[in-house]
Amino acid sequence: MKISYNWLREFVDIAVDAPMLGQKITHVGLALESIEDVHGDRVLDLDVTTNRPDCLSHLGVAREVRAIFGGTLRRPEFRAKEGSRAASETFSISIADPELCGRYCARYISGVRIGPSPDWLKARLEAVGVRSINNVADITNYVMMELGHPMHAFDADKLRGRQIIVRRAEIDEKLTTLDGVERALNPSILVIADANKPVALAGIMGGGETEITASTTDVLLESAYFNPGSIRKTARTLGLTTEASYRFERGADVEMAAFACDRAAALIQELAGGEILRGMIDVYPGKSKTTSISLRRERIAGVLGAPVADAVVNQIFERLELKPAQTAQGWTVEAPTFRVDLSSEEDLLEEIARHCGFDKFPATLPATRGFGSLLPNERRVRQLRNFLSGAGYSEITTYSFSNEQQEKKFYPDIEPVRLRNPMSEEATILRTSLIPGMLSALQWNLNRGIRNLQMYEMSKVYWNGGERRTLLLAACGNLRLASVHETPREFDFFALKGDIEELLAGFNTPVRLTTDSVPKYYHPGRFARVGHLAMFGELHPAYAEPFKFRQRIYLAEIDVDLLLGSSQSRQVEQIPRYPAVKRDFSLLFDKGTQYATVHRTIADAGIPELIRVEPFDRMESGPFPDNKYSLSISVVYQSPERTLTDVEVESFDRKIIDILEGRLSAQLRK
Amino acid sequence: MSSEWIGQLRSIEQQFDRDRESVADLRSLEELKNRFLSRKSGLLTLQLQNVRNVPSAERAEFGRVANEIKGRVESALEALQQKLAEADAGAAVERERLDVTLPGNRRRIGHVHPLTLARQEIEDIFTSMGYTVEDGPEVEKTYYNFEALNIPAGHPARDAKDTFYIDDVVVLRTHTSPVQVRTMEKMQPPVRIICPGRVYRRDAADATHTPMFHQFECLLVDEGITFSDLKGTLERFHKLYFGEKTETRLRPSFFPFTEPSAEVDVSCVFCSRKGCRVCKYSGWIEVMGSGVVNPKLYSFVNYDSSRYTGFAFGGGIERYHALKYNVNDIQLYYQNDMRFLEQF
Repeated sequence: MKISYNWLREFVDIAVDAPMLGQKITHVGLALESIEDVHGDRVLDLDVTTNRPDCLSHLGVAREVRAIFGGTLRRPEFRAKEGSRAASETFSISIADPELCGRYCARYISGVRIGPSPDWLKARLEAVGVRSINNVADITNYVMMELGHPMHAFDADKLRGRQIIVRRAEIDEKLTTLDGVERALNPSILVIADANKPVALAGIMGGGETEITASTTDVLLESAYFNPGSIRKTARTLGLTTEASYRFERGADVEMAAFACDRAAALIQELAGGEILRGMIDVYPGKSKTTSISLRRERIAGVLGAPVADAVVNQIFERLELKPAQTAQGWTVEAPTFRVDLSSEEDLLEEIARHCGFDKFPATLPATRGFGSLLPNERRVRQLRNFLSGAGYSEITTYSFSNEQQEKKFYPDIEPVRLRNPMSEEATILRTSLIPGMLSALQWNLNRGIRNLQMYEMSKVYWNGGERRTLLLAACGNLRLASVHETPREFDFFALKGDIEELLAGFNTPVRLTTDSVPKYYHPGRFARVGHLAMFGELHPAYAEPFKFRQRIYLAEIDVDLLLGSSQSRQVEQIPRYPAVKRDFSLLFDKGTQYATVHRTIADAGIPELIRVEPFDRMESGPFPDNKYSLSISVVYQSPERTLTDVEVESFDRKIIDILEGRLSAQLRK
Repeated sequence: MSSEWIGQLRSIEQQFDRDRESVADLRSLEELKNRFLSRKSGLLTLQLQNVRNVPSAERAEFGRVANEIKGRVESALEALQQKLAEADAGAAVERERLDVTLPGNRRRIGHVHPLTLARQEIEDIFTSMGYTVEDGPEVEKTYYNFEALNIPAGHPARDAKDTFYIDDVVVLRTHTSPVQVRTMEKMQPPVRIICPGRVYRRDAADATHTPMFHQFECLLVDEGITFSDLKGTLERFHKLYFGEKTETRLRPSFFPFTEPSAEVDVSCVFCSRKGCRVCKYSGWIEVMGSGVVNPKLYSFVNYDSSRYTGFAFGGGIERYHALKYNVNDIQLYYQNDMRFLEQF
């Protein structure tokens, strides 16, 4: 709301300059956004909260200023000369829907001369950002900015039947509004109609046909009160917000309607001449009842934190025109009709707090009560993040939005959450997996020459009926970069697998790998899963293609809640006191024999002292038949009870070699 | 009494003293040693073998001097040996000298996302003040997102212009306040919670808006809680988060769920209230909304409004992080450019 400093001073004495006024008024709740100089005046742009339509005018702001500085609030004074003809004999007004229109005041002014406004009026309007049209239209705007009450002027001769009916529009009725747009109406919309058809959108905008023009001689001046909800709904339906609708939808002052009507009529007479017909037509079916509100004195300290002297409270209430009456317990006030925000005790506490000044209340801390705690798994989540940081993965955060086509590529069977009013075609649903977002993040970096990436996102995915947190790891490029110190090493499947093994070991979760049920988007020969807990592998080249990735992409999907929930408590293992013996073997196996089979077969040898088996070399070809490959394995034996003898060690070796030869046709290489 | 025999001994001694000057390394030391002490041809050894030719009257004196010289030579050789060995070891180490100005061989360390770091820090501050972290669904019923927060049907805040609707009664939550209502439904006061999480508003993305962002909101309901407690809590929080010199200021505002309501400003973290571009030369930066819980909310959760009062406040995690680290565009949090993420 733009407020002219000079205009404001007509209503209240202000002892400070505009910037200081801006500061003061900010601290009662009208936040100063900016101050600008307009032709020797200073215009304050105030942010008026939605609950305070009474401050959408100079008079309203002046009331708050008066409450700060004291003094007298001066309402505009004017004198109008009524003619002898009675308005009610010339024109008739009826309200068909009193629910939506609580009051309709009108003045009839005959014989006006439409012309430009005087300079002072133009300057005032310009200062507060309103364009000048003609003297009569400008006066309705002027009064709205002065008193806060929206008004409308009709060319009375264009109103058929010399009457106004405030009613709901009928199906298929149309109205071309002042902005030249033809609007299709319906019964949810309240209109001002003459005997034939709608002539204005009630409380929002007038119609083009009945507009004031240079040839207008008779003016019907409307000053009404419309139901806020109805105006809001119509404004939304039509996508049309005006200064009038802005005020009506927040709540105008029903009692101001008559005063504003007279004020505008007097100004019209003064600036455009003419005869004001005798009497105001005032149809007032929704006569307001004043609300009385009580305030208990002890609630001031009880809610605000410190008591406030009775005299101060009285002064605040009086200056805000709340008509306070002191009672044994505290106060009873009458909420004025312009204060639509006041109805309960806490509303009054707020008035006291803001006019005392928020800074007058001490800062205290609530007494300690119990203890605070993080979310149940948060400590372990942080442990997980620490692990991921240590392993080189950086966390990313992507939007929850996605598009269905993209998501369906990865999780085609999930019914997504669809937005009814998405902002773009790229963001029509909530993501069902973290993969598309991750691939986009990789792409963003790759496109900028950042090629060696390890990233993760730990966040929610959504489906129709639920949402849950999940973890996705991704990597590409080099694990170790080429440098003066070493040669580069590519991130590969086993780098990823190692990270998964370490991660699961860190949460004491046993790893049982399988290679079944490969999702389509993984490379079928470079994939493994740990039940429902984790799936990992290389992104299928066909799925990498749309992103134009030129390098292999590795992904690992981990069900975090399952991971955090499944991990067992850990007990320390004793550190062995006796020496371990390490032995190496090189063996030939048939191509196609998986390492897991070798490992399991060695375990089947049943040697309790065998504590570790580790492959350390593998050759696909060499001085051996083409259908064989060579695998070198080291094994470690150790007893918790004694030092192993050479004879024992040799017998263990024999057992291992025998079982590998017997079951897997392995051959020990010499 | 200086015989010819002893004179010869002395001249060998003098020769030794001359020769040892030129010894520079262990090899020439070995030559020196051989020249004088070699068992077959050493100059001193040969002289000592001459003892039987010395007249018996001088023999005792000759022996004494010879032994003295031999001792001197031996200990001089030993000292030289030690000195040269030390120098040699030093030279070996010297050969191992590295160009330590080459860059370190750095392992790749991952970085936790700045929004996670900020959330953790805020959670830690409030848990230390006795608050418990709560979370709730992001796809939320309009009842929890609006009605129960005193935002009835038809209220402008529910407009489809600003809110993502799934259907008539389900939205993407526009704030984390629904978690407060859900928590109050579950338990009677005292309630002291912090609800961090993702929220959604239909704002086009720019430097200060994104259609999804992160909020944290706190709620405290108990007996005897006042507006003053709200002020004190916010002051404490801001000192812990931004630094002990930070001041907090409350300005009257309006929210449907609190009354009195206040916008919360902190003294500008960049200029300490001297005035700069970030604070638009006001010295203050708006950071959150707050207020005393509107008693109307208690009727939705069956709290006794004659017994309990409370306060609530909430801010954007992006904003708090951006202010602390001078991030001038919050879209950076969602671009996931490694050059940004690596800085945290």
